[in-house]
Amino acid sequence: MSTLLRLDFVRADLHAQLDACTDDDLDELEFGVIGFDDENTVRRYNVFESQMAGLSRDRVIDMPLFTGVAPCMNNFLVAQRFEDAAADGSTLDDVIDYVFTLRMRPVRVKLRLLTAPGRRFRYVLVKRAL
Amino acid sequence: MPPEAADVGAEYEALLQFLYLAPVGLAQTTLEGEIVMINPLSAQLLMPLSQQGFSNLFAALEDVAPDLRHQAAKFGAASGMICDGVRIQLGPGTVTKPDAQTLSLTLLKLDSKRLMAVLSDVTEHVKRERLLRQSEAWLNAIMTGVRDYALISLDSQGRIDSWNESIGRITGHDSSAVGEPYSIFYPGDGITPHRLMDRLREADDSGWSLDDGWRQRANGSRFWGSALLSPLRLLQDDTGPAYCLIIRDITDKLEASETIRRATSCDHLTGIANRRMLFEAAEIELARWRRAPRPLTLLMLDADHFKTINDRFGHPAGDAVLCSLAAALTSTFRECDIVARVGGEEFAVLLPSTSVQGALAVATRLLSVVAGQTLEIEGHRIQYTVSGGVASMEADVTGFDALMKRADRALYAAKSAGRNRVQSFG
Repeated sequence: MSTLLRLDFVRADLHAQLDACTDDDLDELEFGVIGFDDENTVRRYNVFESQMAGLSRDRVIDMPLFTGVAPCMNNFLVAQRFEDAAADGSTLDDVIDYVFTLRMRPVRVKLRLLTAPGRRFRYVLVKRAL
Repeated sequence: MPPEAADVGAEYEALLQFLYLAPVGLAQTTLEGEIVMINPLSAQLLMPLSQQGFSNLFAALEDVAPDLRHQAAKFGAASGMICDGVRIQLGPGTVTKPDAQTLSLTLLKLDSKRLMAVLSDVTEHVKRERLLRQSEAWLNAIMTGVRDYALISLDSQGRIDSWNESIGRITGHDSSAVGEPYSIFYPGDGITPHRLMDRLREADDSGWSLDDGWRQRANGSRFWGSALLSPLRLLQDDTGPAYCLIIRDITDKLEASETIRRATSCDHLTGIANRRMLFEAAEIELARWRRAPRPLTLLMLDADHFKTINDRFGHPAGDAVLCSLAAALTSTFRECDIVARVGGEEFAVLLPSTSVQGALAVATRLLSVVAGQTLEIEGHRIQYTVSGGVASMEADVTGFDALMKRADRALYAAKSAGRNRVQSFG
C-alpha cells in the first residue's frame, strides 16, 4: 500500500488511478473518496470519508448521491458541474473550496471533482482545508 | 459491545443522516451567534454570504441582515422567539439565477446560552406571493368596494382623450385636461415621462398595469389611488382611444395596505425600503431599460466613519444617525426614486430617467444637507458626512449586481479621495 499512500489529492492522473484501485486500496487513502456512476448512485465510499461524516458505508452505497446522501452538494457548484460535463461530453477536473458540516460542525474542505467520458466512475474527493 | 450500545451507535448514525438530509437549515449558536452545530442545508444557504468560511451566524448575515445581532442582544426574555420567519434578501438576481434569492430566518432563544436558528430558501415562495399579490390587487381594483372611480380614455401616447363627469368627481380636473398626459394625476415628482410610457408598454404586454400610490387632484391635494391601465385596441386597425385608465380613491384602505407594505418592504429601523424592495424595483426598472434604454442611475451611499460614531457614542446614536440619513434621503430624492437601506450603514438610491450628471447633482445636494446638520443625541452633538458613488445602466452591465458593483467602486474611490464627496464610475 505504500505506493497508494502516496496517491496525492492533487495528482494529475488521479482519476485513472482511482478507477484502478480496489475498495480496500481506497480505504488506505488519507482523503475522502465518494465514487458514483452516471446515474449519480454511490458505488464507492472509503473509510476516511465514512469516518469524517460519521456514516457507515452500507448507509450510503447504492443511494442517490445528490438527493439521498449529500443534498448539500446538489447545487450549481457541484451537481450541476457533473451534469454539464456529462451533457457536453467533456472532462471535469477541478478543485473547489467548500464547507461541509461533518457531524454538524462546519469544516472547510477542498473538493476535487472528477468525471471524464469513458471512465467507470465519477468522483468527489474530500480533503480538509488547512 | 453490549447490544444496547450497538443500538445507540446505529441510532446516532441514523440521527446524523436525518440531519444531513433535512431539507431545512438548522443551526445552534451561542447568544453571540458563534456556531456550535449546523446542518448541511444551513451551511449551503450561508456559503454565498461568507467568503472566509463561517464561525458566527451574525457575522455571516451582517451585510444582509445588519440588525440581527442587535435584535438578539436586546431580546430580554430568558427564552423565546427572537424573530419568526423574517425574510432576508440575499444578492440581487444574476444572469444564471435571475430571481433575487430570499431566505427565511427564525431565531429562537433556548436559554441563557443557546440560540437555535432555522433557515430556508423561500425564493420561489416569494415569487409566487408576488404574483398572488398582483392578482389580488387586480381583483381588488376591479371587483371590490367600487364606490366611485374615474374612467379615463387615453390615446396611444397616454394623453387624455376625452373628458367626463367621473374625472371631475375624483380628480377635480375640468375639460381642459383633454390632451394632457395622464401624469397630471400624479404628484410632480411621482412619475417621469419614461415611466408614463413604460406603464403603457406593460399594459400592452400583460393586458393590464396596476399602480397604487399617491395621486394628485387639480387643486394640489393628494389621495391614495389605485390606477388600473388596460389597452383597448385589440386589433391593429381598431380606432378610438388606445387605453382605458381607471383611478379609484382608496385612501381609506391606505392604512391596511401600508401596514402590509411596511412589514415586507421596509427596513425596520429607518422605515425606508429594504434590500428586497430595492431588488424588486431594480428588476422592474432593468426590464424597462432593456425594452427601451434610457438614463438609469444607481447611487450607493455610505455614512463616513460610522464605526467610530458607534464606538464613541454607542449604538442608539448610530441608529439615530442612520435614521437621520434616511430622512435626509427621503426629503432630497423624488417620489419615483427608490431610496433603500442595503446594509449596516450602506444606502442605495435607484434613479429612473436620470443621467449621471443629474444623479451627481442631487447627491451633492444631499451631501451638503447632511454635512450641514448637527444631531443632538443623548447630550452629544454629532456631525457626520456621507460618501457616494454613481453608476449608470449601460449595455455592457449584465444585471443589477453588476450595476451595484460599479456604483460601489465609485463609492470606494470617493472614500479614498477623502470622503464627504460623490464620484461617478469610470
